[in-house]
This record gives sequence, C-alpha cells and structure tokens, in this order.
Amino acid sequence: MIKTDKWMIWAFVGPTVLLLAVMMYYPMIGTLIESFYSTSFINPKPEFVGFSLYNKIFSSGNFGIVVRNSLAWTIGVVFLQNLIGFGVALLLNQRLPGQGIMRALILLPWILPGVVAAILWRFMYDPQLGIINSFLIGTGLSNTGIAWLAQESTAMIAVIIAAVWKGFPFSTLVFLAALQNVDREQIEAATVDGASALRRLFDVVLPAMRKVIVVNVILTTILTFNYFDMIWILTRGGPRDATHIFPTKIYQVGFGQFRFGEAATYGVLSVLMLSVLVAFYFIAQGSGRNKRAKA
Amino acid sequence: MTARFNLQRVLLTVLLLFVAAIVLLPFFWMISVSLKPATEPFSIPAKLWPDAPTFANYITAFRPEFRTYFVNSMIVSGATVAITVTFGTLAAYCFTRFQLNVLSLILGLVVLAQMFPHAAIIIPIYKMMKNAGLLNTRLSLIIAYVTVTLPVAIWMMHGFLAKLPITLEEAAAVDGAGPLRTFFDIIVPLSRPGIVATSVYVLIVTWQEFLFALSFTSTKEMRTLPVGMNDFIGQYGIRYGELMASSVMVSLPIVLVFFILQRQFVAGLTAGAVKG
Amino acid sequence: MKSALMMATAISLISAATAYGQEPVILKFWDNQQTESGLSQFQQAAVDRFESENPGITVEVTTIPYPEFQQRLLTAVQGGNAPDISTLDQIWVAAFAKAGAISDLTKMASDSDISRDAFFPGAWDSADYNGKLYGIPFNVDAWSFTYVNKALFAKAGIDPSSIMSWDGLKLAAEKLTDPANGQFGLGLFGHKGEDTVVVTDSFIFSNGGSVLNSDGSCGLNSPASVEALNYLASLVPYAPNGILNASSGDMRELFLNGSLAMEFWPALEQPTLQKSDLNWDFVAGQAPEGKTAIGTYGGWNLAIYKTSPNKEAAWKFIEFMTREDVNGDVVDLVPANIKAAKTFLEKNRLGAERIMKYLDNAKARPLSPVYLEVSDAEMAMMQDIYSGMPAQEAADKACKVIDAL
Repeated sequence: MIKTDKWMIWAFVGPTVLLLAVMMYYPMIGTLIESFYSTSFINPKPEFVGFSLYNKIFSSGNFGIVVRNSLAWTIGVVFLQNLIGFGVALLLNQRLPGQGIMRALILLPWILPGVVAAILWRFMYDPQLGIINSFLIGTGLSNTGIAWLAQESTAMIAVIIAAVWKGFPFSTLVFLAALQNVDREQIEAATVDGASALRRLFDVVLPAMRKVIVVNVILTTILTFNYFDMIWILTRGGPRDATHIFPTKIYQVGFGQFRFGEAATYGVLSVLMLSVLVAFYFIAQGSGRNKRAKA
Repeated sequence: MTARFNLQRVLLTVLLLFVAAIVLLPFFWMISVSLKPATEPFSIPAKLWPDAPTFANYITAFRPEFRTYFVNSMIVSGATVAITVTFGTLAAYCFTRFQLNVLSLILGLVVLAQMFPHAAIIIPIYKMMKNAGLLNTRLSLIIAYVTVTLPVAIWMMHGFLAKLPITLEEAAAVDGAGPLRTFFDIIVPLSRPGIVATSVYVLIVTWQEFLFALSFTSTKEMRTLPVGMNDFIGQYGIRYGELMASSVMVSLPIVLVFFILQRQFVAGLTAGAVKG
Repeated sequence: MKSALMMATAISLISAATAYGQEPVILKFWDNQQTESGLSQFQQAAVDRFESENPGITVEVTTIPYPEFQQRLLTAVQGGNAPDISTLDQIWVAAFAKAGAISDLTKMASDSDISRDAFFPGAWDSADYNGKLYGIPFNVDAWSFTYVNKALFAKAGIDPSSIMSWDGLKLAAEKLTDPANGQFGLGLFGHKGEDTVVVTDSFIFSNGGSVLNSDGSCGLNSPASVEALNYLASLVPYAPNGILNASSGDMRELFLNGSLAMEFWPALEQPTLQKSDLNWDFVAGQAPEGKTAIGTYGGWNLAIYKTSPNKEAAWKFIEFMTREDVNGDVVDLVPANIKAAKTFLEKNRLGAERIMKYLDNAKARPLSPVYLEVSDAEMAMMQDIYSGMPAQEAADKACKVIDAL
C-alpha cells in the first residue's frame, strides 16, 4: 500500500463526487419522491399517494412484459456485443495486413449518430424496400420477405441485432486496449511449450483479461439497459408491447402521456431492477473465479 | 511450420475482411441512398447503387448553419473529453489504489448513478440549468456530458489501472517521489492505452448526443450537429436522401480524425505493452 | 476602441427604442419543424415582414422536429422556461390549458378582429376548453384523402370514383392486389403513431360511430364503431405485410414506385406527389353506401404561454400569422384562415373544392386533457385488430382502459 495524504484523495475524487451529487443524485432523489405523488402535467397540485402508483404498475400486466423484454434485450445485446467485440479485437490484434485501417473502419457503426443508425436500420428492415429482405428474396431464402419489426416473434431479435451492430465496436475498443496489457512473454512461453492457439487463449489471454471483461460486461449491461434511441425509433416499443423496455416505457408514460408521477415510478423500478441485475453479475463473477480455477 | 502459419494468416485476413464487409454494408447503403436523386423512386428489390447518382442531396443538406453546428460540436466534445478524462483518471486512480471504506461507497454510488434513466431526470436537470442561467449555452452541454460520461470513464480507467502493478509506484516512493509526481510521471504514461480508449469513448458519445442537446439549446447558434441534422425528419415522414447525406457529412469529420490520428491511436493502444 | 464604439452605438440604439416609449421586445416562437423544403425561408420572410411592421419587436424562431416537439415543450414548461408563443397540435391544447401552461385568449380575441367565422369551425373549436379560447387556429388538414395511382386503376379498368363507397374501395383493393408482381391494393399502417388513430377515426366517424360518446364514455365498442373496425380488418389481405410497424410516411415510397394502388394521406401529401412523375388523383374519404364520408381534423393552433411577459406583442404576432395575406405563406398544411385557405388551395393543391368540402365536414378528435391516453388505448386496439384479434374484443379491451381514465 502506498502512503498518501487524505487531501490528495479528496482533490482527485472531489470533482466527480460534486458533479454526480448535483447532476444525478439530486434529480434522482426528486424522482424517487415524485413516485409517491400523483404528479402529472395536467395536475399541477399533486397529492401524496403512498405506494399506489407502484401498485397500479404491478397490477397492470404491463410491468411483467417490460421486465421480461428488458431482460431479453439486455442479456441478448450484452452477450452478442461482447462475444463479437472480443472476437474482432483478437482478429485486429494479429498484425494482419490492413489492420490499421480496419481499426478505424470497424469503429464506424459506433461513430454514427444514434438517431441516424436507428433510422438506417428501420429502413434496412423495411419489408418491401429494405435491403435485408431484398437479399432474402433475391437468394430465394424467402418468398415474400419478412416484416422483421412488425411481428411479435421477430421484433426483439431484430432490434437486438441492430443494437449489437451499433455497440460492438465499443467492446472491441476496450478489449483491444486490454489485449496490449497481456504479458507477451507468457504467451510466447506457452507457444514454446506447444500450446495451441485455443489453449493460449483460454489459459493465458482470458485469465489476464478477466478483470477488464467483467468490468466491460457490467458496463455494457448498464448502458444497454438504458439504451433508448434504437428501440424508440425502430418500433416505439411495438408491435403491441413486444419490444417495450424500461426507458421506452418511461418516455412514453412521461412525455407521451404527461403522467410524470407514473414515469417516475417506472424510473425508480428501472434503477432497482438494473441494480439487481448488476448485483447478480458481481455474484456470478465470484463463482466464475472458482470455476476457472478448476479448469 | 511457416506454411501452416501463413495459411492461418490468410484465413484470418479473409475472416477480418468478411467481418468488415458485414459491418460496413449498412454504410454502403447509406451512401447509396444519399446519392439517389429525389425523383428516382426506391425500387423493389432494393438497388445497391442508384441509376443516376447525384450529389444533389449533399447540396441541399449542406447549409450555412452547418459550420456553426460543427464548431459547437467541436467545442463541446473537445472540452468534455478533456474534463471527463482528467476527472475520470484521477478518480479511478484513487479507487484502485487506496483502500478506504468511503471510497468503496463512492465507487458504488458512481456505478449506481450510471443506472439512472435520463428520461426520468431530464426535467430536474433542465430546471437547474435554467436557475443557473445556463440554458442555451455550450457550457450547459459540457456539464451534462461530463456528468453522463464520467461514470463510464471512471469504470474504463478503473479496469486499466487495476491491471498496473503497484510495484512501480512503490519503487518510486522508495526513491522519494511524492504521490503527485508518482501519478503524473508513472501512472499517466503507463495508462495511455486506457486513456486513449476512454477518450475515444467520450468523444464518440458526446459527438452524437441528442436528447440533452435538443433540450438545452434553442437557437441555431448553439445547436450541435446531431440536432442540426434532424431537420429532415418531419411529422409525416423522413427525407431519406438528405438525411443520409447529412449523416455522411456528420460522420466524416470523426472518421477523418481517426484516419489522421490512426498511428497515434494504435500507438496509444499499444503503449502499455512495453511494461513487464 | 472598436468595442467602445460598438458599445456607444448599442446604447444609443437602446435609448432610441426607449425614447419611443417601447422597450425592445424579443418574442420566442417555437414551431414544429416542417419538412417541405423551402418553407423555413418563407417563414423567415414573414417574420422579417412582421418585424418591419412592428418596430421594437424581434422574433426568435426555434423549430423542433415533430417526434421531439412534445417532449421539448413539456420540458420547457415544467422547467419554467416556456417560449412566448408556440404552435400546439390540436390534441395537446386541452392538456396545456388544464395544466395552466397557456393563456386564455377569449378576451384578446373578442377585442380584436379575429373571430370564429374567419376560420374553419372545427379548427376554432379545437382551441376551446371549458368554454374558453386557448389558441388561434394556424393550419388544418383532414385525414384522410384516398390517393389513387391512376395508371394502375386504368390498367385494371376501375373507375377511381367507385372507391367512394366502402364496398367499392374493398372491391378495387381486391382487384388491384397482385403480390406476385409486388402490387398491393392499398397500404394500411398500424404503427404506434397518431396517423394510425386518425385514419381509424375517419372510418368510425363515416359509419356514424364515435371515439368518445357525448357523456365522455368510450364509444369505440358501439355497433357502428365495431362495424367500421371490422371493415378495416377486412382490408388487411390487400395491404403489404408489416402493418404493425408501418407509418403513413413509410407508405410514401411504396406509392411512388407504383407498388400501391391506393393510400390514405392528408392534403399535405400533395407536394410530394406533384414532384413525382406519377399520374395520381384522390377521393375525399369514403363511407358506407348512403352515408357521408367524414374526415378526422388535424392541425395546429397558436398559443401564448402564461409565463410570457410579452403577451401583447405575442398577440400581435398571432394576428399577423393568421392574417389572410400571411397565413398561406407560412404553412404547409392548409391555412386555418378560410379565405387564405381558398387562395392557397387553388394555387397549390389539386381539387381545391373537394378539399374545402371535406374540411368543412371533418370532425375533431375528442378534446380532452387525457386525449393522449385515449389515443394510446386506440393505437393498442388497432395493433390488436391488425394482429387478428376480433374487433369487438379489441374494442371492449380499449374501452375498459378509456373508461377507467
């Protein structure tokens, strides 16, 4: 442990604490309070209603759908985004020809403004005009094309694919940076010992990157859970409620229907659910460490 | 041995090209749509390239305001990157190096803050900006962007700094270097890959941010690119050609930045590899 | 030196303005962003003209894309930073009035030349909440005109006027559907958007049904309404797939490339079609045999916010923008001022008379502060129906939600 002065810690952490307290916690505490009041745009004199907004949401039948969708969306995007992101990072770390340009090109989806990316994908999924169905019909994989975003059975997977396309470069970037910290001598030693590439990956690279992978999975979980633009523009939570997640619900109830109190309640529930999800990861991380030790 | 090695390299290169093709296909289509004359209807099945490509959409989309939007985006994103990465690195350093209960608590609160849905807190934030007289200023956006990117920046930096061996700092301490010098002379250079990655993250997030930019600015003089380019989205439809043309123009500066800084970018990402 | 000079100039300008007994006034005007190219220039020209007619008043125009306009206005009002004036969708007026966000304009209107008979009655009444006037109509339109691709009709040997009846529309849709050649009778849209609701309403209205009964209870599950819903559901086989995520805007490209023989749009769609090579016409809605087609009113009103310190100047601006000689230059829907509308339609739109008649007949959506929740229930109902749920069951479900509001 390094010896240090308290003043340095506070000087280093202070700006962060101040900003988050004022800009995030103060408003969020306001939201928490609001969730106990019947606040709405057309009711400027709200009354204290206790847990009745919570009861209303729990008994509406919508809540279960939103929870289920949020889970499917978050887990689907996080899993695919990090898997693909890691694979691409490994590829880009191989010193292959043209990899410099590739590193820049591969970041393109992530650079594209979110609103535009969503509009682009909505257009690509268009049942008649979209390039995806043109491809399917052209290759004979489908006769009439598939209305990806208009069927309850395919809408969720379609929005997940679009989000993964948009988000995987972030994971690639993080993993690529982390790969530089993997000890090359250890890899070379393993190579000399005759370990296959796969062995080296599992025995040397993955353990060395464990911390970064865990942090990134947690991070992308949080970012994905609250990712609003993509679904809002692609489907507005439809068809019916097939892609409604917490952020789209909060926006729709609050800004679409002027019911601020209920939107606040959804906001509080959203934070609670995400906390549970993240806590679950932390626990899984602990048991994952044991499993890996056995392997 | 070498033959197998080369085959492997060829296969990997092909795989990389394949991945790149899939990733870039939507962009190809975006450019194709942006070059389509407004009078040429969309065909079924979709054509990969318009019959008579034209830059007309670019000419319509490129308006004099674009320069203002661009400058605003530059200022806001640049300032946000500088501030966020500085604050984030400082804070992450403390979280990885000093075992104080209060720091663990703060770190937990940082993670928690990232979970707050923006739609639920934007009205109170707007009120504060109004009371501080900051509405319709670039500063309001910078403050908001630093706040929303800081938790992620701290987490990213945390991931890298935690990997740095503490022995170097201990050696520096033995040599008589104070904690501040240790931080700036040893930690900062060693965490360059992390700083680069974090800066890129912050830059890209702020370059495309829409909700705060739309809510806090009202005059054309203060708008940023993502808000400015939404002029092509109306009540009953989107003018795809012009929107795609303006998207290409918005993305171009940042793509250029990457190509120009590519060497530094890669060097930044690989700088940490030298340490043992 | 230079800055000192500028300062001096600025001071003399300000004192000149005050010398005339007028504080310089800056009006903040927020408008839904229009997509028809060129309109913003016309609007700016009108603003310049207003400023020259009213020295001492400057207008700062902010345009916001429609999808975010509602959120942006709510945020500003809640944050205590509302503009002086904004356009408000007809369906928002009651909520903004009840929230106490906008001013009662009844007295200002009665003291001025602005009166009901200068405007489309449906538009004027949409600004009425509890007997008080909260806005002045700015522009209007009606959903929906049924646009036809004349070439496809001629090829199939169908007379476009035959689709004025429900039976005729369905028959034509059936004949014009040929999926093997990528051709469909008409494009139905059922995404979560207000365009889904207004088209549904016009079918309900044309069959004598209603969204809300006069006592405020839900009318969607009445026999007349359900009959209209069943009729809409019977058109599904003639529409391209993907109804549940299709918007009226999505149908535009399909109509333009000849994949659709018919489409439901407001008169606003005409400029787009005029720019194309398509041979098109339209029919002003349709009704069952023996009934009159009734459209759904849409459009925007100008409102003054309660927090505005410049209400008089704001009122001057509203008077100006709705004037006969100005109104037509600053809108892309139909001007709400009837005289301006006539000139505008004759100059810019095909079938001016048919449009005027349809507008006169059109019915407004329920003017309720909770309209947006009613509309949400109606959207859910249409998504249920287009997914195959029996209309009666879907309507009963929606009415349960609406009656609980």
